[in-house]
Amino acid sequence: MSVTRDDVLRIAQLAELEVEEDGLPALVDQMSRILDYIAQLSPATGSNGLRPFVPGPDAIRFQPDEVKPWPLAFGPEKFAPAFKDGFFVVPKLDQFE
Amino acid sequence: MTEAKAAADRLVKAKRLNALLTPVKELRKSLTEQALAARPTGVLYGMPVAVKDNICTLEFTTTCGSKILEGYRSPYEATAVAKLKAAGALIAGKTNCDEFAMGSSTEHSAYGRSIHPLDKARVPGGSSGGSAALVAAGAVPAALGSETGGSVRQPASFCGVVGIKPTYGRVSRYGLVAFGSSLDQIGAFGRSVHDAARVLSVISGRDPKDATCEDRDPLRLPTVPESLQGFVIGLPREYFPPDLDPAVRRACDRAVRLMKEQGAAVREVSLPHTQYAVPTYYVIAPAEASSNLARFDGVRFGPRADGATDLRTLYRRTRGEGFGPEVRRRILVGTYVLSAGYYDAYYRRAQQMRALIAQDFRNAFDRGVDLLFTPTTPTPAFKAGEKLADPVAMYLSDIFTVTANLAGLPAISLPVGRVKGLPVGGQFIGQAFLEDEMLEAAYALERAVPATEEA
Amino acid sequence: MGGGGGGWETVIGLETHVQLRTLSKMFCGCSAAFGAAPNTHICPVCLGLPGALPAPNGEALKLAVRAALALGCTVHAKSIFARKNYFYPDLPKGYQISQFEQPLATQGSLSFLAPERGLVTATIVRLHVEEDAGKSLHDRFPKATAVDLNRAGVPLIEIVTGPDFRSPQEARAYLQTLKQVLEYIGVSDCDMEKGSLRVDANVSVRRAGESALGVKTEVKNINSFAYVEKALGVERERQVAALEAGGAIAQQTMLYDSKDNAVRPQRSKEESHDYRYFPEPDLPPLVLTPEFVAEQQSLLPELPASKRERFVAQYGLPRQDAAVLTAGRAVADYYEGVVHAGAEAKAAANWVMGEVLADAKDHAEALRVPAAALAQLIGLVKGGTLSHQAAKRVFGELANRGGDPRTIAEALGVIQVADPTAVAGWVSEVLGTHANEVGRYKSGETKLMAFFVGQVMKASKGKADPKLAQRVLEEKLAP
Repeated sequence: MSVTRDDVLRIAQLAELEVEEDGLPALVDQMSRILDYIAQLSPATGSNGLRPFVPGPDAIRFQPDEVKPWPLAFGPEKFAPAFKDGFFVVPKLDQFE
Repeated sequence: MTEAKAAADRLVKAKRLNALLTPVKELRKSLTEQALAARPTGVLYGMPVAVKDNICTLEFTTTCGSKILEGYRSPYEATAVAKLKAAGALIAGKTNCDEFAMGSSTEHSAYGRSIHPLDKARVPGGSSGGSAALVAAGAVPAALGSETGGSVRQPASFCGVVGIKPTYGRVSRYGLVAFGSSLDQIGAFGRSVHDAARVLSVISGRDPKDATCEDRDPLRLPTVPESLQGFVIGLPREYFPPDLDPAVRRACDRAVRLMKEQGAAVREVSLPHTQYAVPTYYVIAPAEASSNLARFDGVRFGPRADGATDLRTLYRRTRGEGFGPEVRRRILVGTYVLSAGYYDAYYRRAQQMRALIAQDFRNAFDRGVDLLFTPTTPTPAFKAGEKLADPVAMYLSDIFTVTANLAGLPAISLPVGRVKGLPVGGQFIGQAFLEDEMLEAAYALERAVPATEEA
Repeated sequence: MGGGGGGWETVIGLETHVQLRTLSKMFCGCSAAFGAAPNTHICPVCLGLPGALPAPNGEALKLAVRAALALGCTVHAKSIFARKNYFYPDLPKGYQISQFEQPLATQGSLSFLAPERGLVTATIVRLHVEEDAGKSLHDRFPKATAVDLNRAGVPLIEIVTGPDFRSPQEARAYLQTLKQVLEYIGVSDCDMEKGSLRVDANVSVRRAGESALGVKTEVKNINSFAYVEKALGVERERQVAALEAGGAIAQQTMLYDSKDNAVRPQRSKEESHDYRYFPEPDLPPLVLTPEFVAEQQSLLPELPASKRERFVAQYGLPRQDAAVLTAGRAVADYYEGVVHAGAEAKAAANWVMGEVLADAKDHAEALRVPAAALAQLIGLVKGGTLSHQAAKRVFGELANRGGDPRTIAEALGVIQVADPTAVAGWVSEVLGTHANEVGRYKSGETKLMAFFVGQVMKASKGKADPKLAQRVLEEKLAP
């Protein structure tokens, strides 16, 4: 179940990760090795239809509906890479309507 | 005041380990300020505790060992850190780790690898290698780490210190930068079971900020038991394979003998799905990570890549440049196993296998076993660079630790001997929320075992 | 226009996002209020800062369950939150916490009056809970997007219908009925202008008589009920034109531009969305006890359709009037308040539909005259103390200044005189000075009664009670 170069590029797009052209062959190889390794789960018997296990509480415990935000020691003007007039600023999406 | 200076001095002495990410000047200043403000009635009053750099603190930066958070100062602190401070502890700097906790050697940090305190050619383990190394070197009495697949126990085992992972839901994850949300827990390092347990007790307990944290009181510490009479210890045969390093086996056998001498009954058990644990882990953890790390996009916090004139380029460059190769690999694997057409074959299947692994433990405990005992790692600390060629080779060193994370069970590693001078760890895996029984057994073993003797 | 012009049938399904009226956000304690300065309702959680975790709001769940019950859905005892993963600057975590495989509720229905087909029952395929994204403003800075995260994390319910509508008009009628129900039960303001109700539509066409569905497109960026009708009409025409020209419909997202009433394909992204849904590991399952669901059921008020029918039966109103009075809960409750304070049902209906609603329209929907005061006013008219015209003046005063109807009427000098002696006096005066007309009346020109009443009103300077005047006149003119 190896991955191809095109697979890796498609996944990288979904994950918004830039992949260097010269690093691509090694990445494809490593990804293939990892995916081949974890593919041994697929034919493992006895696991079909079993309910997944997730640790933690059995049910959500709800919080009351009150305006009491968890503390922020300082605001985005201090930690945002670009902040103007109270807004976060990002370059425009290329294909914006 | 002198305590603060002494604490800083001890950390400075361990500089060569590259385990502390906090600059010395900032550390000294902060420790002095903190010492003035610390609550004198707190149970940890004046105790310097180093914190793994994937846990948010108001003091110092929080980089998670990554360039994508270089210089990032969190505007809030983790619940666990707030609880330490409320108990009078001093936050003694941030420790080096594998980037975003992804790794088993601390070689995947963007800030250089950390160094094993006893052998500078070797790794201290990971991902919480920095915390383990500092505690082992005596630079700090205790430290916080985090576990997703054994990242507290494995470095504890490599460095010869105690490392505890609590039951999933015992300690709040609010402020722990998420890697594998259904696996992550904050854990504690100490030079003794008591020190590590004390810290764990302080940081444990309910937290409305974390919906996966159980509504329970903080962990109450047991007293040291007189003997292990009445304890039934299970030895899962899958953790003692024929090809186990003979020195590791010797050390564990010795530990088992010492437990028997204290009155424990010992029984062989089987956890038949153990062989699937590592691949299961390496489906679930990267999948959750690929989603958890999507927030690192250069938009709201952290550094931003230069020169991007459109949004997608901003994302791709910030993330491509900011994440290291191991993190990028895991994000890609995680994205792949969640993607359309592959979700059932990988992610759903892994979650089902996880149920079987958890069931294995339940079966063993239902049959009268109180605790399991196993080697923590298949080998002592390996050499730097040894496992970097093939990512899967690194993954296999988690083989004895990931099961407790998959099943959400508490576990503790303590040193049980040496192999050619390198520490070897043995671990107890306990029943959910029965840390006290596990700690009793650990106390009893600790007092008997010659931890620094060759096995 | 309509659904099936030229042998084509239009098939429309709607996805509606409704903001729930909570004080705080879905997963954190920030205020959910609309209209604050940008990025002032934020915290580590809704900012998506590293290490932050969701903490679910119980009130949001209660409102969501009530909405599901009001729409006749099966509310599931156990449902799961899931992550919907995609990158966008107003989605701080890079995923939205929503529900996917196990939603809160399924299989409901909502009946509404369709303009051509009469009563139509739309199926509610699913209703689930999720969090809202923030707002991206593309025109604030040149070549850049401004992001405001105040809205990020506000609780939403998503309501998905089947492909049940056969015309843009039907779609609009459904939405208006949906809005009415949700307003009634108090779960949302449903204000499209404030963004507390948003609609995306799926549209396809097929030849009349065909049973298979055509390829559908998704139409987004519709910002009012009126635009719903327009946008769907335009898309329908586009699809029909394309198919009639021999082409095919591409499955894509179309954005409506209200400025030129056109739809344009959203310039397709490099890859289609693969949201990689998986169960949210930061949240345990959502488990609802039967008691909890029963409690939400008991908190549901009478729904619009039931109330309308009850008004018809209980107050003897024509269905049209009952529909007007029950369009909104505030007015319906007000109307009943007026009746319970003693007003006659039909008179009360006329006053509420008339003066009260007209006044409300000019005053931000405020019902300014207290129900008891209006009931008194109606009583004064009925009892002959005020003419209808005078009462309208008094109503105006009550609305602007409050007070007591009788006192105001006295101050205005419009109290009608119903004193039989005074009226008899005026009647005598009039009859005395119009002997000619009296004669004509007595010989059969009974329509002169109106003339006599008018003369009595003149003599009394408008103060006589016209009904009493007429009675006295009839008495005096009897043979």
